[in-house]
Parts: sequence; C-alpha cells; structure tokens
Amino acid sequence: MSRLERFTYFERVVHWTLGLSFLYLLMTGLAFSHPRLFWITVLSGGGQTARFLHPWIGMLFSVSLGSMFFIWAKDMRLESNDREWLMAVRAYATRQKDGVPPAGKYNAGQKLFFWAMTVLGVVHLASGIPLWMPAGVLGIGPFYGGTVNTMRLLHYATTLGGGGLLIVHVYLGTVAYPGTLGAMLHGRVSRGWARLHHPRWEKEQAGD
Amino acid sequence: MPQLPGSSLAVKRISASPDPAPSIRTAGPEFAKLIDISRCIGCKGCEVACKEWNELKIEPTRNFGSFQSHQDLSADTWLLMRFTEIEVDGDLQWLIKKDACMHCEEPGCLYACPAPGAIVQYENGIVDFNPDKCIGCQLCISGCPFDVPRFSAETHKVYKCNMCVDRVEVGLEPACVKTCPTNAITWGTKDDMVALAEQKVDRLKDRGFENATLYDPAGVGGTHMMYVVPHGDRLVDYDLPEDPTAAPGALAALAGLKQLGMGVMGLGLLGTALHYLKYGPEVADEEASDPASPEPGSGPDAENT
Repeated sequence: MSRLERFTYFERVVHWTLGLSFLYLLMTGLAFSHPRLFWITVLSGGGQTARFLHPWIGMLFSVSLGSMFFIWAKDMRLESNDREWLMAVRAYATRQKDGVPPAGKYNAGQKLFFWAMTVLGVVHLASGIPLWMPAGVLGIGPFYGGTVNTMRLLHYATTLGGGGLLIVHVYLGTVAYPGTLGAMLHGRVSRGWARLHHPRWEKEQAGD
Repeated sequence: MPQLPGSSLAVKRISASPDPAPSIRTAGPEFAKLIDISRCIGCKGCEVACKEWNELKIEPTRNFGSFQSHQDLSADTWLLMRFTEIEVDGDLQWLIKKDACMHCEEPGCLYACPAPGAIVQYENGIVDFNPDKCIGCQLCISGCPFDVPRFSAETHKVYKCNMCVDRVEVGLEPACVKTCPTNAITWGTKDDMVALAEQKVDRLKDRGFENATLYDPAGVGGTHMMYVVPHGDRLVDYDLPEDPTAAPGALAALAGLKQLGMGVMGLGLLGTALHYLKYGPEVADEEASDPASPEPGSGPDAENT
C-alpha cells in the first residue's frame, strides 16, 4: 500500500504549535469568561499566572498563525469548483458522495476554515492587545474604559467563532475520517484515503 | 462621635460568582460618607490620614501649577483632593473633588471582574478589593465609571479606597472623616446622610447657590460616597460624570454573548457527537486501488488545479 506525503515536517510543527496554543488560549479564556470554569486556571498555575501567560501564548499563536498563512495561502485560493462543492455541502455532510464535486488538495470547506481562522485570528490579536496592556503600548493608549470594554466584546466574539469552528475541525480531522489525524502526525496518508477525500490531488500524485 | 449602629460585613455581592450571595443575615444599615464640598478648605488632612491609617507608601511629588498634591490616584494613593480653577460669571471658582472610590450600590468594577471573590460588596455598602484573589487583569478599571482603581506594577494587582473597612467593622468612622477639621466629611447610615445632604443643599440654595445638589447618581444605584455639590450645573467641571452607569453597552452585550457562546459550543459538541452516531467514521476503501476505477465526478470535466 503506497503512502502519499500530505504535510511536511515543518507544516506539522507549525500546525501543532498553533493547535496547542489555541487550546491553551481557549481553555484559559473560557476560565476568565465563565466563573464556573475559573478552576481551569488552576491547571495553568493559578489565576495570576494564567493572566500573565495567556497573552504570551497568544504571541506564539499569532506567530504560528502568520507562518501557517504563508505556508498555505497559495493552496487555499478559492476556485470556481469550490462554489459547486459548497452548494453540495449538505450531501458532503450526509455522506452522499455522488453529489459532491471531487476536491483537490483541500476542499472548499477546508479553505473556508483556513480563511475564517485567519481573519478571526487577526481580529483576536488586535482586540487582545488593549486587554493585555490597557495602560498603553508603543505610545498608543491608554485603553481603559470604552476601548477595553468594546475589545473585550470583540475578543469574546472571535473566540466564539474560532471555538465553534475548532470543534468541527477536530471532529472531522479525527474520528469522522480515520487516517486524517495521521496526515498531521506523521505526514502520510494512504492512497485510498486520498482517493476518497481528495481525488484530484490523488491523481496529481499518481506519478510519484 | 455618636455610637454608630452595628456594621454588617456580611457579603452582598461577589465578583465572578454564579452562585447566590452567601449572606442570610437580616440586612443591617448601609453606611455612607458625605462630602460637603462647600465646607472643604483644601487642607488635604484627609489624604494624610488615608496614607497613615492604610500604611500606604509616600509618593514624592512636585509642583505642577496646582494646589493639588499629586497629579493622579495610584496604587499607593487611594484618595486625592482634586482642585480645578474655573471662571463662573467673571468670578474665580475653586472646584474641589475628593477623588476616591464611590462605593457604588451597583459596582461596575465588581461586574467586570473575572476573578471569583477578588471584589466583594458588603451589606454595609463598602466595595472591597481582595488582592489575594486579584489576577491583575485590570478589567475592573475599565468597568469603573469613575476611573478609580489603580494597577500596581509592583504586585500586578489593582488597589483602591476600601472605606477603611477595618475601622468601620468595629464601629469607627473612616480615617478621612475622623481627621477632617471642618466636618466637610461626615459619616453615618445612608438614610441619615441623604437627609443631612438635603438640609445642606437647602442651606446652600438659601445662600444663593441655586444649582446646589446632592450627587448620588442613580445610574450606579446610588453611591456610598456622596457629594453636596454647590455648582450642581457644573458636574463636568468637578470631573463628576453626569450619568455614570455600572454596565456600559459593551459589557451588557458581553453578558448576552457569553450565554450564546456556551450554547454554541455545547450545541457544537452535541452536534458532532450525534453526527458521529448517525454516520460513523468514513473509512477509505484501499482495495479499489486502480486509478482507472470510476470515481464519481472525477472525469475529464473535473477542474485542473
């Protein structure tokens, strides 16, 4: 059974830096937002430590998000074929593969996930800085009062979007489609997996 | 000083707590501090008493062209007499504000705080910070409509006037009240102080201060530090917000969004679980490995990347 390389070592490192930092940020962020989840801060060394680490892990998240953007932006350009795929998303979700146009290396859902996460990430970073340093930074600020309160709203709204998408991403990437997690762990997928999920990409790899 | 009624330190509100307030005591009286600005002579004895009683660090200052001791409140300066000079009808007016925590009935700081128990409000009306539980996020500063709490770069926690809670607890008045030589600051139950303020306002009106008023803003449910303001039409010049509120729009929207957030995440988890139970894993068929085998939609009409 031949195997195809789907993600390089560098891509995998960047992905997991992003993924694990996202998880840390989501957990501590939820702890700050919901009193019943405040206990999560204990896992991060207590409330004050979590408050200190959250923005720094956020920097790590931002750097990996930026790297991911440069690695994958080219592959994530939407094509005319993607529109048809999106029209057939219901068929895709209910496993009626006949009605779904064959995907290339990434299907339209993955592409939209990438762009949505990029936009949400940028807004999240921008709204997080005034919360991190409300007294001001680089001569801008202070942000106390209305700015902080509005940014807090924005910071939470983007969490909501990103957190919701993450649930779907993790579900599809693990239990829903066996073989997918391996692509991000050791980088390789089987021929059958590629033919099932990314037939056009599989054809392109045929000569390898 | 007449004997004050017992002061209840039973907790009325706790920051970031989804549970009901713990107190089951019969509510005792609320206390309030009343500042009669018309009686203040600007001696700043209250500032010194505050530093002394609370054992706060002395902060060196400099002359910046005002009668004021410091330019701003700080983590070590919980009380600052602010002096503003303005002209009213050709006359110089010296507006004084005793800048410190207002101890709101609806405390914006407490509502904004994400750390359980870092801010509490007692039944006697005092809003108290517990630095032990403060995580240093500074959201209280943005939640405060009076811009009072201050962040300490040293401890990474936030501080403000605690109304000398340790004195009030044992039936004493706050240190600033005790030291004021002109009785510009008085202390008692909130009801008594409101009644006293009304007398003072009437007297000021008799003296020609037509706009004299009691500052006890309704937008924060009233405060436990109130002012008798001689020029009630010039609140902004005193640096007193006209209509402060505890929950500005963004924070109110945030509260709703949080409910939505938990709902969406919960439904997301539930939705993916139900999807899995219905459709299960989609396993690739490794047998049909011949590239020539028919693949739906992969004919020549498929697009090139």
